[in-house]
Amino acid sequence: MPMFNPKQLKGDFPILKRQINGQPLVYLDNASTSQKPNSVIQALTEVYSNHYANIHRGIHTLSEEATDLFEFTRLTVAQFIGAQPDEIIFTRNTTEAINLVAYTWAAQQLKKGDKLVVSALEHHSNLVPWQQVCALTGATLDVIPYTEGYELDMEAAKRIINSKTKLVAITQISNVLGTVVPVKEIAALSHSVGAKILVDGAQSVPHMPVAVRDLDCDWLAFSSHKMLGPSGVGVLFGKKALMEQMPPFLFGGGMIREVDQFHTGFAPSPYRFEAGTPSIADVIAFKPALDYLNNLGMQNVFAHGQDLYAYAYNKLKTLEYVKIYGPQPGPTSGPVLSFNVGKIHPHDVASILDQHGVAIRAGHHCAQPLIDRLGVPATTRMSFYVYSTKEDIDVAFEAIKDVYAKLA
Amino acid sequence: MDLYSEEILEHYKHPQHEGTLESPDFEAEDSNPLCGDKIKFAMKQGADGKISDVAFTAAGCAISKASASMLTEYVMEKKVERLQHMNPQEMLDLLGLKLTPARVKCALLAQAVMRKSILEKKYHLK
Repeated sequence: MPMFNPKQLKGDFPILKRQINGQPLVYLDNASTSQKPNSVIQALTEVYSNHYANIHRGIHTLSEEATDLFEFTRLTVAQFIGAQPDEIIFTRNTTEAINLVAYTWAAQQLKKGDKLVVSALEHHSNLVPWQQVCALTGATLDVIPYTEGYELDMEAAKRIINSKTKLVAITQISNVLGTVVPVKEIAALSHSVGAKILVDGAQSVPHMPVAVRDLDCDWLAFSSHKMLGPSGVGVLFGKKALMEQMPPFLFGGGMIREVDQFHTGFAPSPYRFEAGTPSIADVIAFKPALDYLNNLGMQNVFAHGQDLYAYAYNKLKTLEYVKIYGPQPGPTSGPVLSFNVGKIHPHDVASILDQHGVAIRAGHHCAQPLIDRLGVPATTRMSFYVYSTKEDIDVAFEAIKDVYAKLA
Repeated sequence: MDLYSEEILEHYKHPQHEGTLESPDFEAEDSNPLCGDKIKFAMKQGADGKISDVAFTAAGCAISKASASMLTEYVMEKKVERLQHMNPQEMLDLLGLKLTPARVKCALLAQAVMRKSILEKKYHLK
């Protein structure tokens, strides 16, 4: 059982006191983005009020303070996923982190005849960049399907990942089905054929313990905004030896060693990959978000998400007109639940739930190939986080019954 | 404010002029790729230049379907030249709903397809 009380945590999140359409807000759109605790909001105010200047530049006091705080977050991120600080690169978001690898590694290394493997569960951000790499290099894309039980098809994975595979790019938790993917096994498969593996951790790092050395992934990408931190901050972990071989992504200030009029020597990783002034205050305010999660314990956070999934799954199962797209509650189920209410369009479901104060996502969730495979135009998705409660799910449940009563 | 007024629900559950027409004078189809709403709209013109028959088929949300149904009632007996210039605000006024920005596109699909059917014929775009 979880070791924290989610109802109590709600008090740390000012936005959760809001009323929406006259009803208390029930926020179940956490797979899109999470809400922010007081400690993160206060950190932003504190940086701008007392410690703000550009980093890695100035000799003056404020620049040193801002640099210290910025690097303190890098250290905390590294500890959070079991990496070294110089293996942590700050980007704008997960998408940019994945594009960095696509352009500075894959587009340089892959060639005609090579295979790039993704799964059928990918978010567009871990699909579209690889389609571009294929267009640039002549490599081709292979797709690992999922099973009827909405789990990754490991038998197919063993066939598809072969000696032609140069890169496997795969999500650790599906943002549509909530499926937890065994990326540690996929990493072993990938390395056994000499391929590299990039893990899209946008949904997993916020919700479960992720240790990069244990997974043995080559890259891991995730975002601050889905894990209580500010938007505008993404993270790319890359194995040190690999990152040192990769050329810079963007060029300009901050990523140089020395510049004369016509030539530039580049800084070592991670600075080589952080051209221009970063989102300084947002990176600094990401640290209290990590502290918050560390306090709760990621094992507990994961157990809480799985517990809520099981509760919502079993409750929705009692409505014969609701169709759920996701695994049976168990070790492969995550904190995301997709469903449809009869033939009612998910946008109507979302509109009516909004009138009940319930925020959920409706649409293709930036995963159109997956939605196509499900054979529906869109799905409705509720997704949970540390402050989500069974009472929240009860409110959503009653609202779903109202949807059916109104529109069926 | 209830997005799903009695009138909208009535049109959604019992749409007017749902179906297809034999040899229509105007016919067009379009979809909203983001949400998957799809509407086909067909009209016949009488000797007096006014719309004499209309039909639609729709797959999508309640707002898009109900607005298509309401539009079929609106176009009947109207001059084609008039309908060609029907603007989005007229469609929203017809619905009488206060829509959130995200839902406006659902409400305007039928009107856009109706105009498309007229313009495609006028300019021989088909």
